[in-house]
Amino acid sequence: MANPAASHSHEHHIVSTGTYFLTLVKLICLMVLTVWIASFNLPKIGPISGTVVNQVAALAIALLKAYLVVTIFMGVKFGTKLIKLWASIGFIWVLLIFTILGDYTTRHFEPAVGWDGAAESALPREAPEDPAMPKPNDLNLKIRQ
Amino acid sequence: MDHGHEHGHVPGLNHQYEDMAQQSDTYIVGMWSFLASEVMFFGALFFIYTLYRWNYQHDFYVAHEHLDVRLGAINTTVLLFSSFTMVMAVQSAQLKERIRVMGYLAVTVVCACIFLTIKYFEYKSKFEDHLYPGLSFADDAVKAFGNHALENGHVAVNMNHAQMFYGLYFGMTGLHGLHVLVGIGILLSLIRLWYNRANTVIHDYVPTEMVGLYWHFVDLVWIFLFPLFYLMPLPH
Repeated sequence: MANPAASHSHEHHIVSTGTYFLTLVKLICLMVLTVWIASFNLPKIGPISGTVVNQVAALAIALLKAYLVVTIFMGVKFGTKLIKLWASIGFIWVLLIFTILGDYTTRHFEPAVGWDGAAESALPREAPEDPAMPKPNDLNLKIRQ
Repeated sequence: MDHGHEHGHVPGLNHQYEDMAQQSDTYIVGMWSFLASEVMFFGALFFIYTLYRWNYQHDFYVAHEHLDVRLGAINTTVLLFSSFTMVMAVQSAQLKERIRVMGYLAVTVVCACIFLTIKYFEYKSKFEDHLYPGLSFADDAVKAFGNHALENGHVAVNMNHAQMFYGLYFGMTGLHGLHVLVGIGILLSLIRLWYNRANTVIHDYVPTEMVGLYWHFVDLVWIFLFPLFYLMPLPH
């Protein structure tokens, strides 16, 4: 390190109140926008169902809000490269977690006994029946009656 | 307890660091390491949510109709505002304006308490309708949202799946609420340090900034919880 005495003199970035306030206004506008959009059933786009369009819109707004909070409020935008790297690691990890969906979307959920209304599991299971316990299926589908 | 005394010319600098820039970077990187572990923790829960929502869309939709969007939106606004007061506290710490730091931190604590109070009333109404996971869920949930579900043209709801929704709702918002509660404790400790003019905080703004990072993270989690639990689109 070159000169400890020289570098300690206020190298930190002081962000103006205006920037912070503007960020707050943007965040609240986005919050109102997401509630407003959720009141519509958006039309389907090509093969993508309207439900997915709605959900993507809601999550895109959430991501934008998160971006504003992380960059401005958490100061990552004004931080060193090391801080930028460190701040992104957790989020990269979440992306990795979601690759597990690749497995789930290419195979069926194995039906659970008494859970999805399936009589039996796809694989033989040795679960002794306890007559004292209510059968889970008896609790299901009450509305139909 | 002033560790900076060996470097008499730099108050607030601990002896193991070369200069303030290195100390600040170390503090912030340490804090982000902790936050990364929190992101992994919540990330796994968000994954579980995605998986079950994907499979039980209809049942989740019917179950979610019992949540109050207005209360969720008010709580989102309260948390966003508290994030603003938190950054203002950090900015005041940079400018060494002690009274303003304490003021902004106090407003942040008040916002956190408002958030938890609203959450309390939301939970209370769910408990009154017996909409919490448990053995009696199926029988009671029918009373709570049976007619409402029929009004919307839904035929039937699988109570196990609806129960799963409430399990995730209480699990994830509960864990988030716990973070808010811990945040209140940390914020109050920070106010006390500022009130006592503790060396830890008055010479260096970064400890205040670290509490800020934690608080913004709590806000960040809620930014995703709000649309996922309260603004679920009708399957169409």
